Amino acid sequence: MSTLGLLRTLFNPKIVTPNATQLQSLNRSPFLVGLFFNHEQIRTMSRVKRRTTHPPYWHVLKNVQREDEKISSDNLRFVREVIQDKYKNKSPIKGSDLDIAKTEWDPKTKRSGVIARNIGMYHMWQKDGTKVICTVLHVLDNHVIRYVPPEEYAKSIIGAKVFKNRKPLGCLVVGAEATNPDKFTRQYCSLFSEVGLLPKKRLARFIVTPNAALPPCTPLTAGHFVIGQGVDVYGKTIDYGFQGVVKRWGFKGGPASHGATKFHRRGGTIGTGRDKARVWPGQKMPGHMGSERRFCRGLKIVRINMKYNVIYVKGTVPGPTNSIVQIFDTLLPRRKFTEAPPHPTYFPPEDGTLPQEDIWDSSLHVFGSPSISV
Amino acid sequence: MLRKAVLQTFRQGLAQSFFKRNAVSLSETTVTHQPIETSNEAGERSVSTQKTSDDSGNTVVVAPPEFRFMYPEFLPDPAMETRNRLKEKLERMDMLQRRSVIEIPEFYTGSIMAVTVADANSPNKFAKFVGICIQRGGSGLRAWFILRNVVDKQGVEILYEMYCPLIQKIEVLRLERRLDESLLYLRDALPEYSTFSFDMEPERRLNNSVVPINPLKVKLRPRPWLERWERQNLQGVEDLKLPQVFYDRAAKVAKPWEKYDLMLHYRKTIPAEEQEKIFAEVHSQLQQQELKRKLRRRRGPDSEQ
Repeated sequence: MSTLGLLRTLFNPKIVTPNATQLQSLNRSPFLVGLFFNHEQIRTMSRVKRRTTHPPYWHVLKNVQREDEKISSDNLRFVREVIQDKYKNKSPIKGSDLDIAKTEWDPKTKRSGVIARNIGMYHMWQKDGTKVICTVLHVLDNHVIRYVPPEEYAKSIIGAKVFKNRKPLGCLVVGAEATNPDKFTRQYCSLFSEVGLLPKKRLARFIVTPNAALPPCTPLTAGHFVIGQGVDVYGKTIDYGFQGVVKRWGFKGGPASHGATKFHRRGGTIGTGRDKARVWPGQKMPGHMGSERRFCRGLKIVRINMKYNVIYVKGTVPGPTNSIVQIFDTLLPRRKFTEAPPHPTYFPPEDGTLPQEDIWDSSLHVFGSPSISV
Repeated sequence: MLRKAVLQTFRQGLAQSFFKRNAVSLSETTVTHQPIETSNEAGERSVSTQKTSDDSGNTVVVAPPEFRFMYPEFLPDPAMETRNRLKEKLERMDMLQRRSVIEIPEFYTGSIMAVTVADANSPNKFAKFVGICIQRGGSGLRAWFILRNVVDKQGVEILYEMYCPLIQKIEVLRLERRLDESLLYLRDALPEYSTFSFDMEPERRLNNSVVPINPLKVKLRPRPWLERWERQNLQGVEDLKLPQVFYDRAAKVAKPWEKYDLMLHYRKTIPAEEQEKIFAEVHSQLQQQELKRKLRRRRGPDSEQ
């Protein structure tokens, strides 16, 4: 095998799909690196097409496209009455009235996730006095819209890709943030009117095992989660806009002084000139940074407030404050459930007793309790 | 109508206190600083805690406008991108919970305080530090203040987080204000201005309702300094006696238009209507806590269970 051929097999950068979060590690044998390359780069992540500005083609048109029509106040009042009548009769059923099949939880069950809003960061302290920075996630008014059984989901475009060589699982479509139907198109509202819900601003799909399926109109609240469990939070990172090479890729740039002429935050060389004699695809350059979908895995839940539907999670979460995120039970094997969580979701007790309003993790110092003395 | 009148006085009080507070930046001539009236025993003042009736007949609590200075950490960070009403509400609830356990007194930059903290490395597990508050900041549970003292000829500054549960006691030994909001220049001043005895006893004030302003002018050490104090328009510092070049350069770099920039000041503060709401929410609980503490003090430690 020729040396070039050997190099090609060893250093061939693979195109990574957007779902993967791990970098492909190239063979970095010091012998080969020293022998053939002056500088090397990891070209994989910079080759990935990271974001689109349009939704998938099978999505129905969501927002109303017409301009504000000049409706008289009487007609406006009439429209509001119509909306109220339409949604008043078909009210979503409370959790206890739904006939949910009593299914057993097993360690391989995948439960539904939840749509939440990141409302800010919080400082709390542990019992030994160490500070813990937590993110506050407000679980919005989640309702299940529909359940797609495994066989049907495997036939869909995304389902076929996800379950290509695997046993298919079901899909729960969950919506959050009920809004005025005026703002949305008829096709979008029809997604919800079949189940009798006000149209939701935000929809999400959660892959679930069939034993964790939920009927439509089931509400999902902060009680769905358990104190101390690990969660994965999925969101879109902060949008930094068009950024230069120093901020975007962490380049060192040039010297600030010592005679450097117009070379302080630039990229420098973009190719060798010898091998291939062109700029490699995926060369790191300035461009749009941020607004990418990312997971933060294994975050621990340290506090749940049942009254305000708020979860406090230890660590940081992708995205700016007031952005929407999705919360799942964690994939990480060491932080998974050992005991059964509320399965398939949490329902308030039938005898009408209210749950404990504020639940804290045992390691945290509760603010109303006496000061810590070491 | 009555509620409107009370709210108007609240807002006028706010406006006046705003101008008083920023009197230094708005006018170049020396202003007679009127000490801002505060009330440690907020319930005793007849004007402040008025329970007025709404148009519908519900009682509406209006907190005194001085709360803005007594409890500045209850006001959130004005940056609009990171604001969320629910989170601020939850944070306030937690702050009140912590305040029910420990008394976090009213203090200002320039007050001399003693803080006792649980410390594993100390011989008796508690560490006490006395110092002058040179700066305070943060909002919500992140609120902090810096105490400065000179110990064995070494200047020491400690940043305390007000709501940290390791803090056992915060005591104000001398409650007063200075001519500046930040006393960072004490780092470049003669050490006698930052030296306070650790055995200092809390001083009792003659007039409880007014916080005095100490018009002390501090002498700085000769240059070099940590910052360019001549550019910072400090009131509490003696004449720096620098060559004219320094003042010329300072004038070149100065932004005299900022004091007329109303939008800049607006963006840096929480609007009056919101402040009303926030303090009205918090006021009754703070009052209750204050009353409980007074009762405990009167009864004495023997009757405490």
